[in-house]
Amino acid sequence: MKRKCQDYKSRLPDNTAMKQQQLPAFRLQLSANEILSGFFAIGLFCLGMGIILLLSAKSIREVEINYTEKCATCAKLREDATNFDKECNCSISFYLPQKMEGNVYLYYKLYGFYQNLYRYILSRSNIQLVGTDVKDVRNCAPFKTSDNGLPIAPCGAIANSMFNDTIVLLYNFNSSTHIRVPMVRTETAWWTDKYVKFQNPTFQNLSSAFAGTAKPPNWPKPVYELDEKDPGNNGFVNDDFIVWMRTAAFPNFKKLYRRLHRIGNFTEGLPAGSYSFIINYNFPVGRFQGQKAVVLSTLTWSGGSSLFLALAYLVTGAVTLLASFSMMAVHLKLKERKTFFLQ
Amino acid sequence: MFCSRKKSLEVERIVKANDREYNEKFLYKDNRIHTSKYSILTFLPINLFEQFQRVANAYFLFLLILQLIPEISSLTWFTTIVPLVLVVTMTAVKDATDDYFRHKSDNQVNNRQSEVLIDSKLQNEKWMNVKVGDIIKLENNQFVAADLLLLSSSEPHGLCYIETAELDGETNLKVRHALSVTSELGADISRLAKFDGIVVCEAPNNKLDKFTGVLSWNGSKHSLNNEKIILRGCVLRNTSWCFGMVIFAGPDTKLMQNSGKTKFKRTSIDRLMNTLVLWIFGFLICLGTILAIGNSIWENQVGDQFRTFLFSNEREKNSVFSGFLTFWSYIIILNTVVPISLYVSVEVIRLGHSYFINWDRKMYYSRKATPAEARTTTLNEELGQIEYVFSDKTGTLTQNIMTFKKCSINGRIYGEVCDDWGQKTDMTKKKETMGFSVSPQADRTFQFFDHHLMESIELGDPKVHEFLRLLALCHTVMSEENSAGELIYQVQSPDEGALVTAAKNLGFIFKSRTPETITIEELGTLVTYQLLAFLDFNNFRKRMSVIVRNPEGQIKLYSKGADTILFERLHPSNEDLLTLTSDHLSEFAGEGLRTLAIAYRDLDDKYFREWHKMLEDANTTTDERDERIAGLYEEIERDLMLLGATAVEDKLQDGVIETVTSLSLANIKIWVLTGDKQETAINIGYACNMLTDDMNDVFIIAGNTATEVREELRKAKENLFGRNRSFSNGHVVFEKKQSLELDSVVEETVTGDYALIINGHSLAYALESDVKNDLLELACMCKTVVCCRVTPLQKAQVVELVKKYRNAVTLAIGDGANDVSMIKSAHIGVGISGQEGLQAVLASDYSFAQFRYLQRLLLVHGRWSYVRMCKFLCYFFYKNFAFTLVHFWFGFFCGFSAQTVYDQWFITLFNIVYTSLPVLAMGIFDQIALDTSYWTVINHVFIWGSIATYFSILFTMHSNDIFGIFPNQFPFVGNARHSLTQKCIWLVILLTTVASVMPVVAFRFLKVDLFPTLSDQIRQWQKAQKKARPLRTRKPQTRRSSSRRSGYAFAHQEGYGELITSGKNMRAKNPPPMSGLEKTLYNSTSWIENLCKKTTDTVSSFSQDKTVKL
Repeated sequence: MKRKCQDYKSRLPDNTAMKQQQLPAFRLQLSANEILSGFFAIGLFCLGMGIILLLSAKSIREVEINYTEKCATCAKLREDATNFDKECNCSISFYLPQKMEGNVYLYYKLYGFYQNLYRYILSRSNIQLVGTDVKDVRNCAPFKTSDNGLPIAPCGAIANSMFNDTIVLLYNFNSSTHIRVPMVRTETAWWTDKYVKFQNPTFQNLSSAFAGTAKPPNWPKPVYELDEKDPGNNGFVNDDFIVWMRTAAFPNFKKLYRRLHRIGNFTEGLPAGSYSFIINYNFPVGRFQGQKAVVLSTLTWSGGSSLFLALAYLVTGAVTLLASFSMMAVHLKLKERKTFFLQ
Repeated sequence: MFCSRKKSLEVERIVKANDREYNEKFLYKDNRIHTSKYSILTFLPINLFEQFQRVANAYFLFLLILQLIPEISSLTWFTTIVPLVLVVTMTAVKDATDDYFRHKSDNQVNNRQSEVLIDSKLQNEKWMNVKVGDIIKLENNQFVAADLLLLSSSEPHGLCYIETAELDGETNLKVRHALSVTSELGADISRLAKFDGIVVCEAPNNKLDKFTGVLSWNGSKHSLNNEKIILRGCVLRNTSWCFGMVIFAGPDTKLMQNSGKTKFKRTSIDRLMNTLVLWIFGFLICLGTILAIGNSIWENQVGDQFRTFLFSNEREKNSVFSGFLTFWSYIIILNTVVPISLYVSVEVIRLGHSYFINWDRKMYYSRKATPAEARTTTLNEELGQIEYVFSDKTGTLTQNIMTFKKCSINGRIYGEVCDDWGQKTDMTKKKETMGFSVSPQADRTFQFFDHHLMESIELGDPKVHEFLRLLALCHTVMSEENSAGELIYQVQSPDEGALVTAAKNLGFIFKSRTPETITIEELGTLVTYQLLAFLDFNNFRKRMSVIVRNPEGQIKLYSKGADTILFERLHPSNEDLLTLTSDHLSEFAGEGLRTLAIAYRDLDDKYFREWHKMLEDANTTTDERDERIAGLYEEIERDLMLLGATAVEDKLQDGVIETVTSLSLANIKIWVLTGDKQETAINIGYACNMLTDDMNDVFIIAGNTATEVREELRKAKENLFGRNRSFSNGHVVFEKKQSLELDSVVEETVTGDYALIINGHSLAYALESDVKNDLLELACMCKTVVCCRVTPLQKAQVVELVKKYRNAVTLAIGDGANDVSMIKSAHIGVGISGQEGLQAVLASDYSFAQFRYLQRLLLVHGRWSYVRMCKFLCYFFYKNFAFTLVHFWFGFFCGFSAQTVYDQWFITLFNIVYTSLPVLAMGIFDQIALDTSYWTVINHVFIWGSIATYFSILFTMHSNDIFGIFPNQFPFVGNARHSLTQKCIWLVILLTTVASVMPVVAFRFLKVDLFPTLSDQIRQWQKAQKKARPLRTRKPQTRRSSSRRSGYAFAHQEGYGELITSGKNMRAKNPPPMSGLEKTLYNSTSWIENLCKKTTDTVSSFSQDKTVKL
């Protein structure tokens, strides 16, 4: 009998809220007033945010100079791959009507360059780049080894296609005095990239660290000669190289090239006046009908000069406000009708 | 292969008794049954083969193969294989467990013991080793192992009693009798061992009430019919032993032939999901094609130049071929719109819902300690879509307990006590304190207590005594005393059992009977009545009478029968009593009780003698014998004195009426399919309010030929349409019947309540193809449909019919083996558990102990499951579309190169880890169909937990350490840190949230204002209703003005009277000498013949060999 009782008990489902589907629940039931005031608040907030963003984006000074056409002779020269060892310089002058205050950044910008192709992105070796094994070129097809069978360092399509124009900004103080604007070539990459993701192989001498490897076919010089003046910016940890290796998501992109070194005349930023870019033209864009540009820009808290976010906020805010007005109208009208019916 | 070919060839079966070698030639199946699907060796290949036949699994396998091709692979293989292996393993484990239990139950059945005659000895043998042609011995209360030809039994003349509840749901006993030539064999083992008869009979089939064959033995031939066959699944009753020869074994038995094949059940959501998946797949192909074309163009115009620039030595690559590869790459990437985790999640949600059913205390039956059980976990949401419920009667709607409820004696009602379960214990106590001790044999379970009746009995009210005496005398019950000295009644109909038991409990105890006498104990004194005549019941007479002489020498006729019949035959002096009793009967009938009128007549000695002489004359004549006898019966059964009426309750299960009412409110149609008699079925229909007197019409289809049935159906239809569309001529309607697709407009026009009652033979004709649609059309327009006398297979056919032509979701509920095929063929099968038989439960998808739980199962669990599943699917498809279509968009910016925006880990984990739990929680816990969701603690934990998980995994994957260990797998170092510190990222997230939420909120706000949802309206309506008037409840006590339904012999068969008066079924104290056997046999021929004939007339219309050759 006792056993039967136990059995009886054990088959009775537990009376818990979970098993009986009686868990306490929060039901989101807002009143019309709450919803309407919420709508108004959100609408106003978005509108305000949009205006702030718009103003801050407008405050940015930006100069973009497309030099694909302007350096036509150089471009022509680069069309022919056999001229790879010939230097070609090109000068572009421009006038800055207003001074650019604060930090000024120099970018290069590419149009129509697909850094986001699936196989292109895969073609790199992180193991090699972190310095653990310089000869690891497993994932680098089709740029694994050079013609004589040596592993390429840095291997892969990304590295091979590195942007290699050099851009120098001159400040034309007057018609005869051209001051080279001081630029910092480091700290353009992410800290983690520079100190974690990219590491030179540990050797006394950098060139011996890369012994037994070949330079990428498109490169004029090996990786350990990227910046011979600054050992902290040479080899895999070269900032230009690291910036290039972080592939862009879209075919039109700009990458940070230099930062203004704020000394002397340039403590405040770039003063207004006449400037010129001296470009050592190496990177061929004519082959893929691409374009190249240099960009000088300041930054604000919200980022660059793009108006997209500001406009998006403005539109959302406006639509929300509009919606809240119409909702209120509908609601009030129906309320009247309801009270009418009740009477 | 071989077997099936052989089976198709088997047109007749030849079996020789006691000759295994001979029978082996025919390769008949032995008695082993196996319902299991796999063995240990075949499990893996067959199961995997079956699993990969499922479109989804095959699709994912295909994807996996695609991913292994390096040219195409755009995602690594682990994004697919991990979930695929998970799913396949889970299903395999589930299948294996299911099959294990099938093996177990098979083994249990196959290893049952039975006594088989082998090598002239009775040996214990397992069921599975029983072969066709074996002679086996059965003992009382044993299950029959195979379909047997009855050879001999312990009872005189080779009679034996069986209960066929497992086969057709009827619990009354049925008689089978052996051929006289074989019944002579008795229990003589040596003679039985020498028995070498050859049976030639029909091939295995599923007709339960038909058997034709010939036994050739000793040079003569004997025809065999169903009366000589005991089927597997029956239980031997009231027969201490019998011998039978196995004709059909194992899968060939009629029981197994009747259990339809197990079909894989799918829900409509499943089908919807499959269609959706197909559509989405088509959509995917479209996207893939667009992107592939894009890629071809891009390669042609831009990529060509890039190749020389970015990839050396690939100039030979063709842009069209590249497009082709891109197509497959994008198929892989975009497959996340239908990720395999969808199927896993659906299964998990269903499992959760099944557990809720198992855990539901409101579906727990405490008296039998049976919780509800979801035996199939994949059908829950279908429960919310049920349109038709097919219910068995016995054991499902009713408890299969007949209780003597009330009686009206001489114009006074006794037994007006409530039958509330709650008060039962009180009543029992009262009884004990009352010290009512008229009957020492009183049954403890008897539930009729009425002070006044006890008093009247003790005071010796002659009418009351006469009433009870009649109950004790006028019946066909056989009594038996068991070893403990308790009286056991062998009843042929449970109604009669209830009446005799009632009399017994009230002090008039039926003790024993011989062909000429009946002995009863009247309030302690033994009285023996001489049984002078037995005027048996038949369907036409609807009454039975006995004529007895009491010890004082008075001759009395006691009669009980249908009130309408009996009231016509009353003595005119009864008029006052008649009106009073009539009122009482109406009252009883209004409560759904089965009523009988009770009357007696004092007979003059001389008159009786004359009458008896005429009866004997009539008996000996050959021409018009039946008519003359009927006339004589009419003659003596008149001028009756009314005693009163009885009311027996075919006890409904608790809450049946409420359940039926609420299910019909939910627009669910309930059809009753029962093996029981028409009267019983109708009565139950009335009792549970499925049939009511205010119905416009009740069509009864009971034709015996195809044309009759067709005509009846046509009339019913004419009636139905005629009434509703007085302007329409019949032709319009009949043209419509050509198309099986029913016109819903026609249906709409039918107003008013109709009911259809159809019996088994008519159904057999009606299910033929050309009348089928008529039947369906008619039936679907009726509020209630009752099918009576249907075989298990017909039940399944009816279900199939509705399923096929109405495209409706069906549910079958039943408790017995006779419901198995119906349970299997319906979309959802429900078994009533806690009863003796388990077959129904084993075949069912859901099981619980009481019919009333159906309401909660359908209207709560089913509804919720459905809503949850729908919401879940919307949510799931939404999130995956949002997730995946980004790749389509990005394709236009990355030269259609199949570059993903997200990293591979994010893609792998998105569906499995990041977003699975919140969707699941909603799918499992969401409760109301309203717009606001049900936010339980679990939902909160899951949502915030998922976000937390996302960030912790993100930061781990983007950490320096993991990059240090796996630089190639996790090259994300610093990404999270640098992006999340950007202010504009957060501004974008904020804006996205606002932009996604605002339109929905605005839409709902306006919708509630402008177009209130159904649930809003219902809520308002409910409020208004509550104010206006309390909800109308229909109680069983609802009075019905007319339509009294006399319940006599609802489960009664003709012929038992003769059986009694001939004394052939009495166990002789001294076995008659062998010499006298011939004579007795000869005499008995007539009644056996009659019995056969009449039973077959009532039971089946199939032509049968009615003669018994001796």
